Amino acid sequence: MDKYVEMIRMRFLMMLAYRTDYYTGILIYSINIGAYYFLWNAIYGEKSSIEGLTSIQMTTYVAIAWMARAFYFNNIDREIAAEIKEGKVAIELIRPYNYLGMKTMQGLGEGIFRFFFFSIPGMILVALIFPIQLPYNPVSWGYFGISLLLSFVINTQINLLTGITAFFFYNNAGLIRAKRVIIDLFSGLILPISFYPFWAQDIMKYLPFQGISYVPSMIFTNGFSGSEIVYALLQQSVWVLILLIPIRLLWTAAKKQLIIQGG
Amino acid sequence: MFYVTMFFQYMSQYMKTRLEYRADLIVEMISDFLNQAVNLVFILVVFGHTQFLSGWSRDEIIFIYGFFLIPFALFSSFFNIWDFNERYIVKGEMDRILTRPIHSLFQVILERMELESLFGVVTGLVIVVYAGSSLDLAINWYDPFLFILFAIGGALAYAAIFIAIASIGFWSDAKTSIMPMMYNIGNYGRYPVDIYNKVIRFLLTWVLPFAFVGVYPAAYFLGKKEWYAFSFATPLIGIIFFTLSIFIWNRGIRKYRGAGN
Amino acid sequence: MNNAIEVTQLRKEFKSYSSRTGLRGAFRDLLTRNYKIVPAVNDINFTVKQGEMVAYIGENGAGKSTTIKMLTGILEPTSGKLRVNGMNPHREREKFTRTIGVVFGQRSQLWWDIAVQESFRLLKKVYKVSDQQYDEHMGHVIKTLDIGPLLDKPVRKLSLGQRMRCELAAALIHNPPLLFLDEPTIGLDVLVKLKIREFLKEINEKYNTTILLTTHDLGDIEALCNRVVMLDEGKIVYDGELDSLKNNWAEQKEIHFQFMNHVNLSELKSLPLTFSAEWEYDEKDQTYIAYLKEEDENISQLISVVVSQFKIKDVKIHETSIEEIVRNIYEKGMN
Repeated sequence: MDKYVEMIRMRFLMMLAYRTDYYTGILIYSINIGAYYFLWNAIYGEKSSIEGLTSIQMTTYVAIAWMARAFYFNNIDREIAAEIKEGKVAIELIRPYNYLGMKTMQGLGEGIFRFFFFSIPGMILVALIFPIQLPYNPVSWGYFGISLLLSFVINTQINLLTGITAFFFYNNAGLIRAKRVIIDLFSGLILPISFYPFWAQDIMKYLPFQGISYVPSMIFTNGFSGSEIVYALLQQSVWVLILLIPIRLLWTAAKKQLIIQGG
Repeated sequence: MFYVTMFFQYMSQYMKTRLEYRADLIVEMISDFLNQAVNLVFILVVFGHTQFLSGWSRDEIIFIYGFFLIPFALFSSFFNIWDFNERYIVKGEMDRILTRPIHSLFQVILERMELESLFGVVTGLVIVVYAGSSLDLAINWYDPFLFILFAIGGALAYAAIFIAIASIGFWSDAKTSIMPMMYNIGNYGRYPVDIYNKVIRFLLTWVLPFAFVGVYPAAYFLGKKEWYAFSFATPLIGIIFFTLSIFIWNRGIRKYRGAGN
Repeated sequence: MNNAIEVTQLRKEFKSYSSRTGLRGAFRDLLTRNYKIVPAVNDINFTVKQGEMVAYIGENGAGKSTTIKMLTGILEPTSGKLRVNGMNPHREREKFTRTIGVVFGQRSQLWWDIAVQESFRLLKKVYKVSDQQYDEHMGHVIKTLDIGPLLDKPVRKLSLGQRMRCELAAALIHNPPLLFLDEPTIGLDVLVKLKIREFLKEINEKYNTTILLTTHDLGDIEALCNRVVMLDEGKIVYDGELDSLKNNWAEQKEIHFQFMNHVNLSELKSLPLTFSAEWEYDEKDQTYIAYLKEEDENISQLISVVVSQFKIKDVKIHETSIEEIVRNIYEKGMN
């Protein structure tokens, strides 16, 4: 276990060296939030609520969705792909730890760093500029925390899956880019899932993506009622378990591939 | 004339290189297309809940987005210099550029062109034609010419902003993230400026003229008379800002410090 | 026009920033930054005649490449006068660069992904060279540098030596009267070095091409240049013939011996010689080093005496490097 904690710490220190990137990162996210804020204001116009969300809830939704993204987002899919191409993975496999577990821990180190130096100051900044309603119920904060952690796990699992595909395709950069676009759209980052037409919502129910952004953001904006929260958290947990299966299968196949190709 | 010849020379060179990596090319075009599709889906879903956006209808907003894609595609094909600082100044590629007898900015543009982005023009045109026909827009004989003129004006305005920002690298080689920030601000130009507050509207018109890439020129074709003055200013704004940015670039070249100092 | 390069009181200053420590320091840096002005090239003067071959040498950071970059129009001088081929390199850059050829040893002029001849074809257009001129001139260049078989290969697949020969050919496409070479033989093997040197000599004789080169390789200079300009800390410390520089400063030769059997240092020191030589033992390499003045037949005398008395495993004559000469001058001062 110690070595994984060490991984987190190493990443943390590495990120600290790039802290100026985070100041501009916060600005970029604020600009995006601003664009959607004005857009949603225009969309709401005279209406007091759409799909059960008031205009202020909507602004809060947009803000928390982006600031939470700073936490769960990472590039470990690209890193894995790069390490596979450079032939580094073969060496990593000899070392006495689980490669995928180590990558996950690196992602977590990065996530924790951005949570403190990006998400929290960013949220404070955005709350000063735009009308945002933070949850006053400590229980909501608790649920939000659990949900955010699960969203990190789901996103990282999907990243591991796309990263491993580099074993089978010569160039999976396109796949990684496509995955990012799909997650932005289907996770609820740019649009709450409840805004989609019903047929689309029905399809998305069977996909893991809404566990990434929609669930934590809805909990934060008080968009879910008590039983809905528990159901959503359960759904997230189930996806975490389901996603372990394809990762296992793909990784076993990848290791075979590695032996054949010689890394 | 020399510059036109050079353009085609570099272009044929570019095609040869790109065609060696055909799979990458297709993947890039698909992911560009996906990005455009996502923005369109956003508009479609949003208008499932409202009829108007500050007085603009769904098809009008779609038309603006379609128009925006065309100057944006022109811009991304030829002025995609977001990594200029990293690539040419920090790594010193500028040294090589400056030993050749062609204007330095023109060389950078020739080397960095990404013609596959031109596919966005097709997507844009399809969206414009679709939205235009469902709006029953009347077309005058001179409208296609104005369309081309406005699209080029918009592309020049967009390019000007990025050239000016790239030039900052000549004065300070500190790493800045202004470039990616600009891409995000650029997205504001895709929607009618009257949804923003006055400060942002002023900024998008006179400081970072992103509004001239989308909403202003498109307003003419949508028959929004109150915006005509801005629509017709598009080519002018494009030329003025572009000239200004070249001026900044030329001044910056004198401050170039060279690689490895 | 007689002078290819005229440099008067040329100066280039760089601002060097230092950042303050801590968070408070970072905020203060946002407003005003600490900097000092460092002259990389400090009021230098020299002229180069058409057809001369000049070596421009000095330690790293002495201001060599900054000078070259001003001479080629890449950098604008802070002050001073600069005429190269009768033009101001930076201000008349586009016209000026047609009259020079540049090879930077560390940086490729060629397009990485495409075949060498495609790069040549493009550069031919860039420099507006007619087909006739190209065939006549480049046919010869390609033959002499022996790069014909490489032309249809992409640059990334060439070895360093192959690439350098192609770089050199690329710089000569427009047959410029003035050629700048920045470390043209760095990292190359001996045969390629020889080929390049021979070729440069030939170009110089045939077209009266002026060549200015920076190098760390004394062999390059000995083979090509009569004249050496040496720079230290932005100032010219020597401008003259290579021979007198070497006679004055490369006074010592080192000869390294390795013996079959064990030899005592005192035995070596007491060898009968008509001049004085100092001996040292390098324990790490197990070599015995003799230091002596490079005069008359000192070297052959020493070697023959040693060979007659001991069984030798290996002998190396160590050439004084440019760095050592520079260090010598720096330590003892210029008189």
